[in-house]
Amino acid sequence: MSYAGTMDIYLQQLPQQLVNGLTLGGVYALIAIGYTMVYGILGMLNFAHGEIYMIGGFTGWWVLHLLTRNNEVIMNAVLVISLMIIIAMAFSGLVGMLTERVAYRPLRNAPRINLLLSALGVSIFLQNLVLNYQGAKVRSFHISSLIPESLRVIQIGPAVFSFMRVLVIVVTFLLMALLALMIKKTKVGKAMRATAQDIEAATFMGIDVDRIVVLVFLIGSALGGAAGTLVGLLFTQVDYYVGFQAGLKGFTAAVLGGIGNIYGAMLGGILLGVAESLAVTFLPSAYKDVVAFVILITVLIARPWGLMGEKIPEKV
Amino acid sequence: MKKAFLTVFSILAVLCFAGIGHSADVKKGIHVGDAGAFTGDAAAPCMEIFNSAQIAVDEWNAKGGIQGVKIEHIMGDDAMDPAQGMNVAHKFVADELMYGVIGPPMSHVAQATLKIYGDADLATITTAASKPELTEQGYKHFFRVNARNDAHGWNCALFMKKQLNAKRVAVLNEKVAYCENMATQTIAGLKKLGITDIMQETIVGGAKDYSAVLTKVKAFKPDVLFFIATTAPDQAIGVRQAKELGIDAIFFGTEGARDKKDFIQASEGAAEGAYVYHFGPDIYAIPAAAGYVKKYESTYGVLSGFGPPAYEAMNILLTAIDQAASDGDISRKEVVEKLHQIKNYEGILGFPVTFDEKGDLLGSATYFFKVVGNDFQQVAVMTGK
Repeated sequence: MSYAGTMDIYLQQLPQQLVNGLTLGGVYALIAIGYTMVYGILGMLNFAHGEIYMIGGFTGWWVLHLLTRNNEVIMNAVLVISLMIIIAMAFSGLVGMLTERVAYRPLRNAPRINLLLSALGVSIFLQNLVLNYQGAKVRSFHISSLIPESLRVIQIGPAVFSFMRVLVIVVTFLLMALLALMIKKTKVGKAMRATAQDIEAATFMGIDVDRIVVLVFLIGSALGGAAGTLVGLLFTQVDYYVGFQAGLKGFTAAVLGGIGNIYGAMLGGILLGVAESLAVTFLPSAYKDVVAFVILITVLIARPWGLMGEKIPEKV
Repeated sequence: MKKAFLTVFSILAVLCFAGIGHSADVKKGIHVGDAGAFTGDAAAPCMEIFNSAQIAVDEWNAKGGIQGVKIEHIMGDDAMDPAQGMNVAHKFVADELMYGVIGPPMSHVAQATLKIYGDADLATITTAASKPELTEQGYKHFFRVNARNDAHGWNCALFMKKQLNAKRVAVLNEKVAYCENMATQTIAGLKKLGITDIMQETIVGGAKDYSAVLTKVKAFKPDVLFFIATTAPDQAIGVRQAKELGIDAIFFGTEGARDKKDFIQASEGAAEGAYVYHFGPDIYAIPAAAGYVKKYESTYGVLSGFGPPAYEAMNILLTAIDQAASDGDISRKEVVEKLHQIKNYEGILGFPVTFDEKGDLLGSATYFFKVVGNDFQQVAVMTGK
């Protein structure tokens, strides 16, 4: 094949790969936000966050399952999808708050390594809890009754959008915009920023730090839960093990963007998703994850604090 | 100090239990193991294997067991992980009353545990591990009732050429031993048949999103997409996302896809017209299998195809144990010898089972099915010609 022909094959894939990358990246970003918010305030890596995402996926599946009779949803599809996302967010948020109360708050003043281990324990606990009560079988989301046949796939120019992709991109960006707005404009957001800056000083300023921490877990976990359900709708499957891979990618995205920085997590997620999709275009697909981590390492060598993270002087 | 003691002690314990070729009184009990991924993505087919083997054990026990001793069937879960598979193997080997094992069904786990079972002369009969090298390493204890990848690979290449008229083929394989091997063997076969427009790419099992690599496949414009993945859920995602992206190539899936619930139903229509191959024939068309099918389906639901070979394998294993125990005592070595002597065993698979000296099946067939509505229709059988 001629050089031009080869180039042509690459070029015709690009629009579609951007769509693929953007959807995947949006999901990574939602997961990364949960990591980064907790790290920003407590300085801990919440390894259990991937499981919160998985629990969100299961919750969404159950809502859909309970609202489906004979392969048909029993109410308006828009309502079903909204309910799936909202209930998944609520339940994941609740589980996130519970883990904070039970496993992290008692260790608030302990060395960071204890918190890390506790998080690892929570992760294993949650994964096995779901395995015990839900089994190892992969659950399939039966989404065909949610979208009419004619809307399932939308062709725009050279790229194909499935309805679910559009939905995921829209909901993801909506949630991220809401979060950004809340942090920037509201009083609670201000308190969160203050706590992230200096937890002790925030206490002196009369901020109820415990409440802020709970809120951070609630919001971060709710977003993780939303991501779980969105991925379920998009890729149509969830099982007890999906949290591991997702957590790893979300964590990578958070570090890439600068852990502790919410906009960094958004940027990192989208960058990671797009990079992975583009990598597959130009290289054998086996290099997909290699490329993702080469980017991470390169960024960390050049900017150890991540793309948008702040350079914090070492406290002595 | 304490640690060193523990290490030495556990090594000694393993050595003791490993027992070098001792024979024992049958009356002490007879255990048979079942190693497989009973949790995780492959839990469904593996539970089908276990339950089918259990039916065989129950039938033997109902007839009075072996020499009046009831057979105990023990599960060893490896979760598709070679390391856990090795733990299972050590556990089975350490069980003095264990005389044979069904499994492991995954090639990479079978590979990791080959030496452990081999060193203990503990017979294993796999019902699905098809990597050719497994029987090329000189071990005497390893048997299989399924055909090897090289047989399947060549048969699949033949099928694509003769039945699907393939001229341009995209091969996507998961990065595990069985799938990589299947891809290599099939591509070699395709080239031998003169099909050289081939693209090969890999996927990571359980990743749930293959749209990036499928976009690449679309640009290649193949007329057949051979999707080699272990589990039905992954195949369902493959066929669904291929359709979504508007790939009009024929979707051709592997053994794992022959699962009505996790492939056909899970893909919600996208699998219509797709093809899959399987090492087992259409079990419903074999009269000798009717009793087993009825027993299985009345308790566990619809069969996918992994069960029948397991029922057959357990029956063959118990036949060998029965022969080895006929003089009142039994050793693992004897069981292995008896398995090698099995000739033209007429069971439920529709073909007589004989093992060659490597433990492979003599004369291997591959069966091809098409998805029509909510079912698989057998469309062809290939036997290397």
